[in-house]
Amino acid sequence: MIDADERTLMEETVRSAIADALAADEGADIDAVLARLDWRQMLDDAPGDAIDIVFNALGATNATATALDDVLQSALGQKPRADLAVLLPGFAAWDPPGRIDADDLRARSLATVRAATAGEMLVVGGTRWEPWSVTIPMTSAERSAVHGIDPKAGFQSVRVQGRAGGATRLDPAAWESAVALGRRAVAHQIAGASRAMLELACTHAKERVQFGRPIARFQAVRHRLADALVAVEALDATLDAAREEPKPETAALAKAVAGRTARTVATHCQQVLAGIGFTMEHPFHRFLKRTIALEGLFGSADEIVLDVGRRLLAERRVPTLIEL
Amino acid sequence: MAFSRIGPNDSRSAAELADYRAELHAWLDANHEKLAPRYPPPGTLDDQIAQMQRVKSILFEAGWMQFGWPERVGGRGGPPMLRTELGAAIAARDLTDPGLFSLIEVLAPTLIDFAPPDLAAAVVPRLLSGAELWCQGFSEPDSGSDLASLRCRAVPEGDAHTASTWVINGQKVWTSLAQYSDRCVLLTRTGPVDSRHRGITAFFVDMDSPGITVRPLQMMNEELEFAEVFFDNVVVPADRMLGELNGGWAVAMSILPYERSSCFWQRIAYLYRRLQALVDVAPDDDRAAEVVGNAFLQLHALRARSRATQHRLAKAGTLGAETSIDKLLVATAEQTTYDAVRRLLTGTVELDDSMAGEVWRSEYLYSRAATIYGGTAEVQRNIIARRLLGLASDE
Repeated sequence: MIDADERTLMEETVRSAIADALAADEGADIDAVLARLDWRQMLDDAPGDAIDIVFNALGATNATATALDDVLQSALGQKPRADLAVLLPGFAAWDPPGRIDADDLRARSLATVRAATAGEMLVVGGTRWEPWSVTIPMTSAERSAVHGIDPKAGFQSVRVQGRAGGATRLDPAAWESAVALGRRAVAHQIAGASRAMLELACTHAKERVQFGRPIARFQAVRHRLADALVAVEALDATLDAAREEPKPETAALAKAVAGRTARTVATHCQQVLAGIGFTMEHPFHRFLKRTIALEGLFGSADEIVLDVGRRLLAERRVPTLIEL
Repeated sequence: MAFSRIGPNDSRSAAELADYRAELHAWLDANHEKLAPRYPPPGTLDDQIAQMQRVKSILFEAGWMQFGWPERVGGRGGPPMLRTELGAAIAARDLTDPGLFSLIEVLAPTLIDFAPPDLAAAVVPRLLSGAELWCQGFSEPDSGSDLASLRCRAVPEGDAHTASTWVINGQKVWTSLAQYSDRCVLLTRTGPVDSRHRGITAFFVDMDSPGITVRPLQMMNEELEFAEVFFDNVVVPADRMLGELNGGWAVAMSILPYERSSCFWQRIAYLYRRLQALVDVAPDDDRAAEVVGNAFLQLHALRARSRATQHRLAKAGTLGAETSIDKLLVATAEQTTYDAVRRLLTGTVELDDSMAGEVWRSEYLYSRAATIYGGTAEVQRNIIARRLLGLASDE
């Protein structure tokens, strides 16, 4: 782990590098920016801090990158490389996406935009308890870009059908760790985006004048924004806990809190931004759409809460997970 | 035990804190028989107060109560987190009510920071050892959220700077445990009527002083936890003034850092215990899974936030407006937890007259106040908007 001053410096460096690139060119290659920042080395040296800093920055700037593929490769025991994409679990799920049917490898799921350029794809299949993995050439996969609610998120719909040769057993802990780190990465991105929505709404509330005063003076508006900050701060604390006590449970809860937070923040901020926030002229919609799209990766808040609750009832035990 | 040398937050201290926690829990295990309540739960408030004082005296005799308190008031030194761990450990074991026990955290620091050193050295050990109970006289009938408007009047007998005694007249309300208390940390008006926070002075008043009348108020869960306190020409020595003349607002605000860190951590430990009690008996279906999962999620987020808050306090020595966030999270998580009880244990809160049912009912009703006491949710949101979001004043 790195110390607080180093962290602050890295946060500023990464955020401004991405923001500057996007300011110069809306379609800038953010993966190239991350490569210049030596992101893969950061991920290797201090994965917790690297994921925290980079994904928060991606969320705050509404940037599209494929750093998630690197996080998953690293968790699955591979040295991350740019020409390898990873097949993500299906939307709203966290089971390995691949199936072997007779001698056929089959999978239908999502990937980041890296699938459009990579030569190979890492596919994990089987079950959470007995996973396997295989690397296939992209030529044996069908791929199409997803427009969906957030066309700029870069999601790809991928269909794999081919021979199952070369699949090797994967340690279930490796898949569990990939899901946990994936959840933390996405949750950080949602945290960055949520804070960005709140900043947009606060700025608007201070500038927008109605009834002869900025609407930020009205308690109804102030209380919505205060509740949004409470949600964002709770998410940050939950993410810090997941970094300091890295376990599948703390990562799952952080992802669930992220989903709830994004909804709370988006609802309050959309209402405060009112008409202008409903248009594509104001940047709010980008963050709203990105958080909605990200909420489904590795399980939504509702699904994780149900899963966690089932486990509490099955074990009849409420663990505290973190101590002072 | 060398725990008093544990410093502020670093990895070595985290390990030492874990050692302290382990040793504490081992000791509590070994002494469970001695510490456990001797009445069936929930017991009367009299039972609960007697139990709390008994637990404190046992912990004091064994030396645990003194960790985390400065040596000049009879403590054994070390960071305040040591006492937070103690409070959380006994809350998690339901040895005494965490809300009442953790009142120490809002009373003792006030004396340590603001009383004449001899007075603090004489009385703080009596609070810690269970020899005494104290209360806090802040709110008044017309001064709730707007505490700075308080009117309970203190008048010097002679010049304010040289008087040897002060005379107090007025009324306080919502004073927890006033009828059991030996002393009261009291806020009084010493400036002009409209001087607000600039004209308030704090006193440490003996509750057996002539002229004090306590009238307990029955809460909606039927308990008599708080009271109205009337002051009719109550004479207080000038050396019982806490802090500066007209410096009472600083005294009042000084309770917030510990109330919103240590006290909350103890409350959280108890809420985990109660969620465990619910999970022990909840039906095994997906509706129940969703409800307990949701309560657990909120408790975890709150615990994560509170943990960060304690570490910030340990590092900076104080906390500010950001604790309004902790306050809202505690209130919401507490109400969600007891709402979960009502949703999953059909008829328990409403009709169950067993001992367990009585405890759930009393706590369910008490939880309704979580968004009211200690600063309402609305006041917290106002503070967050003004101080943390930088939205211009709403006044």
